[in-house]
Amino acid sequence: MRGIAMRIVVLGSSRYSETGCAIAARVAELGYAPVGALVLRTLDSGTLLRKVGQWGVSGAARYARTKLAPRHGADVSNPCLRPALTHGGVVFRSLRQVAARYDFPIAACRDPNAPSSIARLRQWSPDLMIFTGGNILRKPLLEVPRLGVLNVHLGLLPEIRGMSSPEWSLLNNVPPGITVHYLDAGIDTGPILQRWELPDVNRSESLTDLRNRLIAFGVSKLGDVITALDRGTMSAMPQGASPSAPGSSKDNQFFVMHEWLQRRAADRLTRGRPTAVTATVNG
Amino acid sequence: MTGRVAKALSEAKGLLRRPQRALPLVQKLVFDRLRITFERRHLYSYATTRRSSQDALNSAMRWILDAERADGGIAAYYSLLTGYSASYPEVTGYIVPTLYDYARACRPAQEVESAVAAADRATRWLLSLQLPGGAFPGGLQGSPAQPSVFNTGQILQGLVCAHRETKRPETLQAALAAADWLIEMQSPDGSWSGPGAYQGVAHTYYSMVAWALAEFSARTDLSADQRYARAAERHLDWVLLHFRPSGWIDGIDLQGHPYYLHFIAYVLQGVLECAVLRRRNDAIQAVESSAWALLRRFETHKYLPGAYGRDFKDARRFTCLTGNAQMSCVWLRLFQITDDLRYLNSALKMNEMLKQLIPARGSRGIAGGVSGSYPVWGCYQPFRYVSWGCKFLVDALLLEQRFTQSFEAAPCEALRCAS
Repeated sequence: MRGIAMRIVVLGSSRYSETGCAIAARVAELGYAPVGALVLRTLDSGTLLRKVGQWGVSGAARYARTKLAPRHGADVSNPCLRPALTHGGVVFRSLRQVAARYDFPIAACRDPNAPSSIARLRQWSPDLMIFTGGNILRKPLLEVPRLGVLNVHLGLLPEIRGMSSPEWSLLNNVPPGITVHYLDAGIDTGPILQRWELPDVNRSESLTDLRNRLIAFGVSKLGDVITALDRGTMSAMPQGASPSAPGSSKDNQFFVMHEWLQRRAADRLTRGRPTAVTATVNG
Repeated sequence: MTGRVAKALSEAKGLLRRPQRALPLVQKLVFDRLRITFERRHLYSYATTRRSSQDALNSAMRWILDAERADGGIAAYYSLLTGYSASYPEVTGYIVPTLYDYARACRPAQEVESAVAAADRATRWLLSLQLPGGAFPGGLQGSPAQPSVFNTGQILQGLVCAHRETKRPETLQAALAAADWLIEMQSPDGSWSGPGAYQGVAHTYYSMVAWALAEFSARTDLSADQRYARAAERHLDWVLLHFRPSGWIDGIDLQGHPYYLHFIAYVLQGVLECAVLRRRNDAIQAVESSAWALLRRFETHKYLPGAYGRDFKDARRFTCLTGNAQMSCVWLRLFQITDDLRYLNSALKMNEMLKQLIPARGSRGIAGGVSGSYPVWGCYQPFRYVSWGCKFLVDALLLEQRFTQSFEAAPCEALRCAS
């Protein structure tokens, strides 16, 4: 039996993030309507200048276009999220729509780690926060919610930490899957709540399709985790030692994959399949 | 300080003698300034370029062949102010293996012939420089002939390779005399210091010399004579004492210079190759620790700074392209040794970055060249395209070619886990 509903806050990279919308809608549908959502400002001059430095003028313009002109019409960029984004015949295009339907406030910030953002989050006194994208979160923010900040990582932890996780899973014979875990100060090093392998990996037609399926799979499993946390039937397990060789200074962090290796990973997806193994932390 | 002023004056005089060099110099300055101000993407680890590795490889090799001087040696650099330098014995020595490797791996017949012929001329020139005791001189051709441990080691690399390719007895004799001289000069603790060492003190980047001795021991018919292998291992043991838990390596000790990535990478290359030849897993692990620290830095900061303070702190904000190419070689070799695809991944990204920083066009000495620093006014070899930068880039691209081809040929089942 549930007691008082958990107070959940959603942290998003943008109000137009499909994953953010899908997660907020999913938890609301389960009866845990967020008490608030904090998103990064759609576009600010500091971010734009940083993007010019990193990506050049053309790259920054492309970035601005994606931020300022979200998709319209029936199409969604991740078709696997369509069921999670569709409610009562309406496809949620922005977190504002989700917030209007489930009646929760949205705040925009330049940096979620800034004292003003943390003060805003404290006002909502969350039990749990859900990270759906954005900047790296620092310790003061991570300490705001009573239980912690949840993240859905697109790989099985602790084997595959960091970036390009689905692709690295394919190349390293680790079954593609997702891990729901608490964030801590490291990169994907926080305690694990549960992890699942993606069923029918070989149905994926491309790396993009695999990634889309993993995101949708993560959104659905996140709901199960929140329910279990609320019922007190799930607890987190600290991650074990790095599986790297004993005495090695290396850890199991992976970085953005180069295009050439991505093509090999795509070959792996379509030609050969990693062996499935049972891999759950909490049974 | 006085030396630096004199150097700057002599460079400026070079420009006055050939004012037509001002145009490419200004072009390069403006181009680098504009790029680092408005378009930094090319500097980053996720950079991609349409330029093929083969094209960049041929272009860098063309630069090396163009840098050959009339005496058969290879120039140290092409300066945007003073043009080509005189032949440089040290670099000529260790470019010889690169020339033969290129000839073995690449198809265009004309280029292959040119590379082999250049290697042959370089070897003959080097033989003419050997001092009576077996040592080779330091500095550029024409400077006072002082025996140099480091240069002798680097030239020994070239002689061992040339002997393997040509079987000429005089090359082996010269290599033997050089190796004997190196053993004679070695201190009981395994280091090289004193008059034959740069600035008179021991340096950990002399691991390159240990590699040359280990190579000499392994690749010649004299392998029964364990003196060379033992000398290499003695130095390896001495260098390993300088590895810190952070991956930092002490003992590079170049007075008046920061810790350039080029020298850090020298230590790693020398230790790694010596360790492979001597089957020393402890040394391979030490190299992994440092190489991983630099890989992590490259991936998280998106580029590798060109110079550091102790423990990789206080990094300077410029890129040492030679050091980058060397690190690419180290990561590729570690991929070969450990099967960890993350090393291959970072090396591919590094090579992408390097390919787009090599001028595809320009006059002789510029096209295909690897500048000491990026931007060109950075503190490592400013305003110069350096021959050893091209050498390491060719090495890195050849290794990339070799490993990507064998990776593609491997069946899916052969892919192994990283950890």
